[in-house]
Amino acid sequence: MGFFASLDIEAYDRQYSDRELFAGIRRYLAPHLRKVVTVALLVALLSLVSAAVPLLISRGIRVLEGGNTSPLVLMLGAAVTLAGVFSWGVNWARRRLVTQVVGDAVLQLRTDAMRAVLNHDLSFYDHYSTGRVVSRITSDSKDFGEVAVLITDVLAQVLQALILGTVLVFINWRLALVLFGFMPVLFLVSTGLRGLARRVTRSGMRAIANVNATIKETISGIAVAKNFRQERAIYEEFDQANQQSYRVNVKRGFVLASVFPVMNALGGVGTALLVYTGGMSVAAGIITAGAWYLFITSLDYFWFPVMNISAFAAQVQAGLSAAERIFSLIEAEPAVIQIDNRPVPPLEGDIRLEDVTFRYSEKETVLEHFNLHIRPGETVALVGHTGAGKSSIAKLVARFYEFQEGRILIDGMDIRTFDLQAYRRQLGIVSQVPFLFSGTVADNIRYARPDATDKEILDMASRIGSGEWLETLPNGLHTEVGERGSRLSMGQRQLVALMRVLIQRPAIFILDEATASIDPFTEWQIQQALDLVLARTTAIVIAHRLSTVKAADRIIVLQKGRIIEEGNHETLLARSGHYAELYNTYFRHQSLDYVEEARERFQQQNQEKCP
Amino acid sequence: MTTTMLSSASEFNIPTPYETDKRSPARWLFSHARRHWLFILMAVIGAFGNAALAAAVPVLVGRAFDGILSGADPKALLVQTGVLLVGTQGLRAILQLGRNFGAELIGQRLERDIRNELYVSLLGKSMTFHNLQPVGDTMARATNDVREINLMFNPGFNLILGSANFLFMPLLVAPRYHPSLVLVPLGFIVAYFVAVVRYLRQLQPVTTEVREAFGALNARLAEALDGIETVKGTAQEEAELSRLEVLARRFRDAYVRQGEIEARFTPLLLLGVTQGLGFFHAVWLYRTGVLAIGDIVAYVGLLNLFGFPTFVSLFAYSQASTGYSAARRILELITRETNLDENRRGYAAPMRGEVEFRHVWFQYDENQAPVLRDITFHVKPGQTVAIVGQTGAGKTTLVKLINRIYDATRGEVLVDGIDVRDWNLEALRSQISMIEQDIFLFSRTIRENIAFGKPDATMEEIVAAAKAAQAHDFIMQFKDGYDTVIGERGVTLSGGQRQRLALARAFLTNPAILILDDSTSAIDSATEDKIQRAIYAASQGRTTILITHRLSQIRWADLIVVLRKGEISAIGTHEELLRTSEAYRRIFARDL
Repeated sequence: MGFFASLDIEAYDRQYSDRELFAGIRRYLAPHLRKVVTVALLVALLSLVSAAVPLLISRGIRVLEGGNTSPLVLMLGAAVTLAGVFSWGVNWARRRLVTQVVGDAVLQLRTDAMRAVLNHDLSFYDHYSTGRVVSRITSDSKDFGEVAVLITDVLAQVLQALILGTVLVFINWRLALVLFGFMPVLFLVSTGLRGLARRVTRSGMRAIANVNATIKETISGIAVAKNFRQERAIYEEFDQANQQSYRVNVKRGFVLASVFPVMNALGGVGTALLVYTGGMSVAAGIITAGAWYLFITSLDYFWFPVMNISAFAAQVQAGLSAAERIFSLIEAEPAVIQIDNRPVPPLEGDIRLEDVTFRYSEKETVLEHFNLHIRPGETVALVGHTGAGKSSIAKLVARFYEFQEGRILIDGMDIRTFDLQAYRRQLGIVSQVPFLFSGTVADNIRYARPDATDKEILDMASRIGSGEWLETLPNGLHTEVGERGSRLSMGQRQLVALMRVLIQRPAIFILDEATASIDPFTEWQIQQALDLVLARTTAIVIAHRLSTVKAADRIIVLQKGRIIEEGNHETLLARSGHYAELYNTYFRHQSLDYVEEARERFQQQNQEKCP
Repeated sequence: MTTTMLSSASEFNIPTPYETDKRSPARWLFSHARRHWLFILMAVIGAFGNAALAAAVPVLVGRAFDGILSGADPKALLVQTGVLLVGTQGLRAILQLGRNFGAELIGQRLERDIRNELYVSLLGKSMTFHNLQPVGDTMARATNDVREINLMFNPGFNLILGSANFLFMPLLVAPRYHPSLVLVPLGFIVAYFVAVVRYLRQLQPVTTEVREAFGALNARLAEALDGIETVKGTAQEEAELSRLEVLARRFRDAYVRQGEIEARFTPLLLLGVTQGLGFFHAVWLYRTGVLAIGDIVAYVGLLNLFGFPTFVSLFAYSQASTGYSAARRILELITRETNLDENRRGYAAPMRGEVEFRHVWFQYDENQAPVLRDITFHVKPGQTVAIVGQTGAGKTTLVKLINRIYDATRGEVLVDGIDVRDWNLEALRSQISMIEQDIFLFSRTIRENIAFGKPDATMEEIVAAAKAAQAHDFIMQFKDGYDTVIGERGVTLSGGQRQRLALARAFLTNPAILILDDSTSAIDSATEDKIQRAIYAASQGRTTILITHRLSQIRWADLIVVLRKGEISAIGTHEELLRTSEAYRRIFARDL
């Protein structure tokens, strides 16, 4: 955990001082203060009770040694039993409470983190992969919780060892020194072994990852190998990887297998030492046999705390950095800032960009003093090469990003004064790869307006290609779309996304047209749905399809963040300017002329090549 | 006429070094493990020796107590005891290492051998099997499940074996002091097994729930963040958050329930009680004069040996049971029937490329609706057929009947007038080339990928094939040209580029029938033009079956088959379809 943690430092990460970090942790524990205090008391109690067992036995031996055979001695046996039951009970109560506190604190931490990331701007997600953000919220909070449990475990063990240690010092400090003197040896050896194990694991890790990758590839490749009857060759590749995996793992296994044997051998030496020095002291009458027994047994009670402590610091550190990572996620600064929270009246869809300057970063200016006015109900197609600023305009209108200069007015009102949620409820957005959530087709269609009825949806669906697209879904509206919509084809996903907008009835529609390959029948249905949406909204379309460009009221031709031409398809094409170039680059192959002439052209080319 | 034989003859065989018993997962695991009997022996001896020598510690300590208390020469006795302690524990370390490493070796070897057996069996499975079996699932079994079997042996069996010896050691040694001293350990062992079984039974459903709840939270959160633009664009942040909160709470509840069960871990209670009762019993016997103080010390020390099995039971048993389920899953995959045979004695001749479907029906299994219904059409050698239709219409299934990835449920598919089931499978497949939607390329050089079907191809042949497939230009744009390793140093290829490499493969193998499932699309006209030209060139001189979305390809095909929900809804040339099909007319009547 600690090793990999250093690999994924993100720019929003902040360095917290220990004080800030503990203040943060305290904030999450504060609501459970009573439980936390109880846990602390239980930990103290637990260590006392557990330390009592060897003390009671040792006392028993001393009593017997003195020749006392009264039934009172039997009481000690009963006391040991009771102590066992009691320590189990205390441990039970402690573990239960710790789990509850950790469960609740982690729940709160996760909720806060999820709220925070859902409210972050889209610019945040441009920089950070969602996979990593997710693992921060789920895995890091889990690590944090585990460390909290670990702390109480180790604390109880250490406390118990301290209690025993104190008793031993009072009995005989010289003998206690022998015992304590042995601890650093134990600590060093266990730390050394841990380091060695970590090293072989780490060096083996890469080898194993490579081997796993090869194994995965040879498995995915089986179908291809069979297609070309190349089974033998692919088997040999697999076999090599498999043998190598074995060799690497055996080496690692040997080191790991030797950790406990070495520690046990060391334990033998320690016991021998205490048996000898203790026995000599008993013989010399310095200590009692009961005390001797206590010294020998105490070795076991010191054993685990010392071994654990060598790992403890690293684990706690890892838990703290997990906490640090989540706190930074929660407290990352937003980039989009609203200056007011005005309710938004039903919009006409008049959009005005005035003197807008926008850059993603200091170096990279996308729009500079940009002006554009889109009238209510108008369909505007944005065309241009990659990086011309098409999607930036769409994103600014959606208020996904902050712009640096100028104003954006919607129906004459400053976009910065809106209640963003209310504003976005009047926007319909369909991205290039439409995103669907797992659930049914109907769930996704009513995503933006959960109160839409099935009938409403069916009525609307039937207006697209007379509803045929619903028939091709195995369960109609109730078809499960799978994770991220994976069970639907790209075309079907687009239809669902357009349906979502149709049901939502927004004033402004923003579409980034898909470039994926879609079968011509579905394409026709998409066109129908799109026509319905465009008829009802002010639309900004980042156009990739010839039919959309042709149907637009106005084409805006962009180059490096500037509008260089504007007009409809025919007039722009006739001008033979930048639009004509764009047409030849992106749209020509979609034209009916191209389709009709393809065969002749390919034939000709083939003949030229092979005369 | 020879019909399909349901035989176990597989498509491909690599002899495995030994046969395994596949009648049940346990027998199967045993037939693998017994080959390593030497390591098993090493682990068993190691486990027993380790426990016995661990028991030696309290025995030696007890002896020293007796000696000192009865006034023997302390120095001689203590030195002797010390030497014995160091010696036995040193020997114990060696034996314990033997146990650990023996179990480790068995685990590692089994991982290697089982993965090999699985892989060989996968290579022997039919194309049908590989088409229906999700790659992700197979991969999980070949990596995670195989690893689970390894872990079942070490730490799983290793600790179970090791701790079992610790359980029985007090029974063996205690009678040395007094026969009745076996009572308390015996009671512990019985209660221990009852408690462990109960504990694991209680815990199992809860841990499953914890895992599932965690998975559900993770999945939904990842989905919400991937779709953040949609969430924000529709102002659904609050709704999404409340959905996530429900999942986070579900995890919290499961986590707390697991914690409560773990906190109640009764074997720990038994351990405490056993120590107390044992001490009580020993003191009782002391008072009757049959036990010495040293014996009490030894006995209490012996009872401490139960600590190891107590803590091990927290995970060793579940590790073993996880491994067993993994073994079951792997064996299930290995033994799964594969219902195509090679038909070695079948028809084998150079193929002309005539394809005919006669009233073909197909369904994946009896409980599902047919995917194809009554398909009939005929393709002359050298013709190009375009198959069009919406997703789920059955296009891909239809073409997979030609090279027998699937067999028709009813009706027949004929190639050169011969039922494909009567063809020698090798002869049939080697003359049909199929380029699927997802094109798999190996992480090797581009040259090796192109020559995959013909490893002895010369460089000239490879370049010629790449040129014909319009791939040469983009290949030469890489620094290393044909020696560029795919996937290395960020070399990634677009769908269109992958497709052209696959076409180059096909140019090299020169099949009589080319089947192409085309779903690529390029943003710019120039690339689009190249892809189309490559496909056109590939279609010359052979029967070509295209699943396509491209109007231009549909336009120049000799025959167009329009599929709708598993049936042919229209068929014919472009001109014929314009007359007969309303749906077809619509797509060409669009204003383009």
